[in-house]
Amino acid sequence: MEKNIQKVRNIGISAHIDSGKTTLTERILYYTKRIHTIHDVKGKDGVGATMDSMELERERGITIASAATFCEWQNHQINIIDTPGHVDFTIEVERSLRVLDGAILVLCAVGGVQSQSITVDQQMKRYNVPCLAFINKCDRSGANPSRVIQQLKEKLGHNPVPLQIPIGLEANLEGLVDIVDMKAMYFDGDNGENIRIEEIPASLQDEARNARELLLDAASVVSDELTEAILEERDIPSELLLSAIRKATLERKLTPVFMGSAYRNKGVQPLLDGVTRLLPCPSDVENQALDMDNNESIVTLATDPEKPVVAFAFKLEDGQYGQLTYIRVYQGTIAKGSTIVNVRNGRKVKVGRVARMHADQMEDIEAIPAGHIGALFGIDCASGDTFVAPGLSLTMTSMFVPAPVISLSIVPKDNKSQINMSKALNRFTKEDPTFKSHYNDETNETIIEGMGELHLEVYVERMKREYNAEVTTGMPQVAYRETITRKAEFNYVHKKQTGGSGQYGRVAGYMEPAEEDFVFVNEVTGGSIPTQYIAACEKGFRLCLPKGPKLGYPVTGVRVVINDGASHAVDSSDMAFQAAARGAFLEGYTKAKAVIHEPIMKVVVETPTEFQGSAMGLLNQRRGMIVGAQDEGVMCSIEAQVPLAEMFGFSTVLRSSTQGKAQFTMEFSTYKQVPQSVSEELIKKVSESKKHVA
Amino acid sequence: MLKKDLILRNPLSLLGHDTDDILPAGSFGAVLARAGVGKTALMVQIALNAVLRDKNVLHISLNDPVQKVSLWYEEVFRNIAKIQNLQGINDLWETILTHRFIMTFQVEGFSVPKLKERLTDLTAQGIFFPQMVIIDGLPFDNPVDLLTDIKLLSVDYRLPIWFSIRTHQREIAAPDGLPPQVVGVSDLFDIILQLQPEGKDVLVKALKGGPSEAGHPALFLDPATLLIR
Repeated sequence: MEKNIQKVRNIGISAHIDSGKTTLTERILYYTKRIHTIHDVKGKDGVGATMDSMELERERGITIASAATFCEWQNHQINIIDTPGHVDFTIEVERSLRVLDGAILVLCAVGGVQSQSITVDQQMKRYNVPCLAFINKCDRSGANPSRVIQQLKEKLGHNPVPLQIPIGLEANLEGLVDIVDMKAMYFDGDNGENIRIEEIPASLQDEARNARELLLDAASVVSDELTEAILEERDIPSELLLSAIRKATLERKLTPVFMGSAYRNKGVQPLLDGVTRLLPCPSDVENQALDMDNNESIVTLATDPEKPVVAFAFKLEDGQYGQLTYIRVYQGTIAKGSTIVNVRNGRKVKVGRVARMHADQMEDIEAIPAGHIGALFGIDCASGDTFVAPGLSLTMTSMFVPAPVISLSIVPKDNKSQINMSKALNRFTKEDPTFKSHYNDETNETIIEGMGELHLEVYVERMKREYNAEVTTGMPQVAYRETITRKAEFNYVHKKQTGGSGQYGRVAGYMEPAEEDFVFVNEVTGGSIPTQYIAACEKGFRLCLPKGPKLGYPVTGVRVVINDGASHAVDSSDMAFQAAARGAFLEGYTKAKAVIHEPIMKVVVETPTEFQGSAMGLLNQRRGMIVGAQDEGVMCSIEAQVPLAEMFGFSTVLRSSTQGKAQFTMEFSTYKQVPQSVSEELIKKVSESKKHVA
Repeated sequence: MLKKDLILRNPLSLLGHDTDDILPAGSFGAVLARAGVGKTALMVQIALNAVLRDKNVLHISLNDPVQKVSLWYEEVFRNIAKIQNLQGINDLWETILTHRFIMTFQVEGFSVPKLKERLTDLTAQGIFFPQMVIIDGLPFDNPVDLLTDIKLLSVDYRLPIWFSIRTHQREIAAPDGLPPQVVGVSDLFDIILQLQPEGKDVLVKALKGGPSEAGHPALFLDPATLLIR
């Protein structure tokens, strides 16, 4: 494991589907000697590219799960986190972006900046990830790197500066001119492994000189030394120029552009040089954790292997040897045999095997020091967990896990699927704290719950693919809630004294709206309800909460105060007071003007400005309240509050009305009362379904 | 009831205008101050005063992102409610949100045709019909042409528009007391207010129109909450 942290790179490769990300990764692994043969993405040879380790990914030619792999180049250790290029797998993306320090943005020389490139670029911008651009597929007919560079500027708002110019294009792509060192590079050998350096062809001399002028101009903005050298017309050493480019790249003021064709084995090695020379090492990036003992205040971590451990589990995988946990160590060192604590549940864990992963193969190592990425075996944890040294109380992510807002019933098709489904659910609920599942006794269905329609769809798909669990799904259901809006009194007597052992209990008090989900207050004085029955009263009230009397949705935001009651020396019992409390709840509830609340999502649509109007129109049609529109040059983002019930199918509609150029993110914001008309519709729907059941 | 309480107690009415609308449709108002004195806070109070009377306010910011502007509103609103000792303001806050629309631009990307396009987007689809506009953060370096165009727009759409104008220390005022930023364009404005730190307080001084002309007592911003008191 590399001791010098300056020589470590944790990078992601982000791209539009089909821009050749997986091929590029494959070539990188080949040139860094991690693999010895090259496979194609769609598996003509039945093996498939190495990074796409999940079957679903191989089949679709896309990458869903972020496998991490490492390789070495020019004495640098590079950890590659294969980031999903699809907008719908947001949790995966967010976690991947969390652990990487820099990225390569792969663009297709023919297709240019497509909508998906916009998506991944937005994500990188959000996380302030410095990046290099690689214009791939320069060998394809219609390849036009200059156009892509222009698009990088216009569509993504980057400041792209090419570090290379192609020698020939399309079928005539021969090599590249490196305009930092001013030399021509040709890639010889069966797999382009031998780089031949030559003089720049005469026909490209002028173009190369102009490109270098542009490069010097752009890099001098951040370097006084370089500016002086230019003004004094001195020779500019490559090192000086590269250090200025690196500084500008780290500050995201400049995007160095590389080019080539991964498939034709051209331009990959210079790109790797670019990664080692221009992208940040772990200590260049400031990482922060939250101090749990101090109201989640922000603490800056030091990339120091000697300090107490802080590490982040960003991905789980079920392997042939049990659960594999991908982990990034931010501070300290996780060594074989050491003890670490899972901050979420406070459990101490002894580290058994420590490994370095190469897609789905692995190599045992002794320790993972700060700044590195590795994998642990047999650690019981969930994705997103933070591990620390005993005594520390830091977390890399907020401990707040929002309650699910949408549910879907799933029914396995056969017995085998049933077994596989429960295995899958067990895994997924561990991987993702926002994904939950339970069994509904009334309908005999398994219900999965999550944060959005796509969130659940992805898991249903993964169930089929990874676990071979065929399930049929019901319609997505919004997690409505009931609550009361005014104070109401109750005074209920539960009395059954007609033969046999009797039941008697009277419970009186009031209920009122509250901020918390449920509060029970006992203000009974003088023993009108004997102390031993108070707990039974509370239980009786609590039993009413999961299924509200109005429409059967869970009841929240109620404060129940009991202040009087009565008991019978012989006939009172826990059962009787529970029943009395239930009666009291119903009595109070009917007077407390109950209403239905629905989950409201914070929706942010990012769209090119020309579609701002239509995107706002779409949100408005969906009972959305637009908070504002933010103009960000070529793109703009619209923030709105929209009821989840109205968001079904939104991604399709948004794509079709913006030529696929807009994307949106959605997160739970709050619960709000549904308007009268919607409430009436819900009542109608519920009564119809009751009739149907009857 | 809550709403009425807040309107009645709003000290902005002390700005000395008999009608609810301090600015008539199609006219300009300005709040001038140095950085950090409370321009945005005062503009937000003016906006909230309109919103509480069910007027739709379009807040355009050239400085801050939507989220920050939104926070300004929430902060000022909660402070007002706290001072007035009002409870149960959450529902009222919800209704306020429906009367407010935030639009942000990058300074270099702001232009009148663009604003017009955005306004058409909002009104043509029935999303939002502004009745007052706040423009915060517009640079007043060479404002004549831009302001003339905005004036035409404000007359077209019958909108009163408030601007925040950043002044600088040690600037030499014109003979009529106006800072250089508004010299040459002051005719376009019906009201010009200046926030001037005086000891611990911030004085709201009317350079044109407003309370002093009407003979009202001086208004101050509380430096802690930046609310008018």
